[in-house]
Amino acid sequence: MKKKAIVALVLLLSGSVVLCADTDAQDAHNLVEAAVNYYRGKASIATVDMTIHRPGWERTMTMKAWTKGQKDSIFIIIAPPKDRGNGTLKRGQEMWIYNPKVNRVIKLPPSMMSQAWMGSDFSNNDLAKSDSIIADYTHKITENETHDGKKVYVVKSMPKPEAPVVWGMQKLRIREDHVFLSQAFYDEDFELVKIMTGHHIQMLGGKLFPKVWKMQKADVKDEYTLLNYKELAFKQDLPDRLFTLSSLKASRR
Amino acid sequence: MNFRLGWRNIWRNPRRTLVIMSAVIIGIWSMIFLGALMRGITDQMVRNGIATLTGHIQVHHKDYRNDPVIENSITEPEAVEATLNDILPPGSRWTPRVRVNAIASNARHSSGITLVGVEPRREDKISFVAQAITQGRFLKPVDKNGIVVGKALADKFETKLGRKLVLMSQDTKREIASRAFRIVGIFRAEMEATEKQFVFITMSAAQQMLELKKGISEISIILSDYQEVDQVTVALRTALSATDYEVQSWQELLPMVTAILKMYDGFIFLWFLVVFIAMGFGLVNTTLMAVFERIREFGLLKALGMKPWWIIKGVLIESFFLLILGMAIGNSLGFLSIFVLPSTGIDLSSLAEGMEFAGMSRVIFPIIESKDVITANLVVFVLGLLVSVYPAVKAARFTPVEAMAHT
Repeated sequence: MKKKAIVALVLLLSGSVVLCADTDAQDAHNLVEAAVNYYRGKASIATVDMTIHRPGWERTMTMKAWTKGQKDSIFIIIAPPKDRGNGTLKRGQEMWIYNPKVNRVIKLPPSMMSQAWMGSDFSNNDLAKSDSIIADYTHKITENETHDGKKVYVVKSMPKPEAPVVWGMQKLRIREDHVFLSQAFYDEDFELVKIMTGHHIQMLGGKLFPKVWKMQKADVKDEYTLLNYKELAFKQDLPDRLFTLSSLKASRR
Repeated sequence: MNFRLGWRNIWRNPRRTLVIMSAVIIGIWSMIFLGALMRGITDQMVRNGIATLTGHIQVHHKDYRNDPVIENSITEPEAVEATLNDILPPGSRWTPRVRVNAIASNARHSSGITLVGVEPRREDKISFVAQAITQGRFLKPVDKNGIVVGKALADKFETKLGRKLVLMSQDTKREIASRAFRIVGIFRAEMEATEKQFVFITMSAAQQMLELKKGISEISIILSDYQEVDQVTVALRTALSATDYEVQSWQELLPMVTAILKMYDGFIFLWFLVVFIAMGFGLVNTTLMAVFERIREFGLLKALGMKPWWIIKGVLIESFFLLILGMAIGNSLGFLSIFVLPSTGIDLSSLAEGMEFAGMSRVIFPIIESKDVITANLVVFVLGLLVSVYPAVKAARFTPVEAMAHT
């Protein structure tokens, strides 16, 4: 009950920011930050099905994910049995992966950061730099749309001149209640490279949340990755010991 | 007298003489021409190697060559620099560099590259890159975010001047360092592999990005006279303590090139031998035929009291004329065909991909080395006379009776 009250309070507070929003950059920044905080929460525990779809095949795995704040997260695969125990730990911008078959923790070197994460359409960088949208970009609200009777802000995010990001632009669509609808990545010619969209918005873990996320590359058809949230709970806090190498290794439980 | 006789003898059958002479000519020509081509290839290979960031001598942290990671950097370059100033002969140039493996990426592509941090003012006198810029410009010392990339890399990344490239590598604290750069220049190199491998940023930018402070990875030295390389290397080795630094000459830095140079030396000599053997059989055959045709003549000479040794001398003089004539024409043809080659060299760009494995360049300029020319001529002349001894001895052995019986 207390939790719900706090969520409501947060919603109210950030909502009020949005209500008086004009196209001012500061407000756009606040909007994006609020949206990121909204979907990340203070801490969360989730069970997610990840489906990697390719023209010739499709593969689904189930993983458990814990996140805390904007920096720390840990993902452990729990099904299928073949992949069980594989895990990824992220702290700040660093990532480690663990493979139970060889009982080895590998710290991802820079050379692997731009490679696909577990064969999906997400790159390791997408995960490691997930907070870069707040730190490395300047935002501007360019349009308003409506979605399910709610107002949707289209935010154009341009990277700061010296920010170490590869994208030329990102376009975010954020609903007035801070639900992310889509995040599109553009190259420096402003051509779409890939886009992540949220679908089936419903109550999850006490807030409205897109149950299904889809990441799709723009130049190939019929190749995408789906994240389907089966369970999601937002927490006030999670213990730090959860986000350690030993917890990554001990994941075979 | 003997010489006039020999000269007239070889022109008794002009067609046969011309045929065997053309064999000698082609043999000599191919030895000289192909020898020059191969020398051209190896010379370019050495030049490429030295210009592609090697230099004549390099100084590294002692473990850098085994494990070129950021931890194996020279952390206090001042000490080395002072030693260099003392020891290097006047006219030498040198430059420090930061060189680490990194990942370059843009929105659509990423690839492993070698990040080279250079001091623009000093680098342009030492390696190829400053002269090889085809678009844009080379780095300036103030370029905090400028980067120079190769044409092949730019094409692969579908990028161009003014676009962004993000470099990622590991810094001295073993954390991931990344930084955005803008392409200010595009260079072309002799080899596509070079274009794809190296990207250049300023040294200060590299040191900042990697948290190296004033550390550097290597010092590359170019001497004014490359023959001094060995001597200067030894001098540097004694001056810089072996527990901290490693000093190496280009022969050690480019073992592949050194090995290929040696291989080509052997290869050229083998080629000479092969050509000679083919030619030698022709020579023996022709001379033998000429001898058998004149059995009665030799028999008569013998009957008149000619000493066998004189007959041998006579036949050898005939071979001598054949060889000398063939060599003279072959040599001049060889030199001629090298000199009439367009000054642009032989362009092998269409085969470039296949040739690159050994560090060959796209264009070959033949180089005549006196060593090769002398070897070729000596081989043909000495061995040519040597194989002619067999028919000559044969001619000297005919007895007058045998010769008269022969019809």
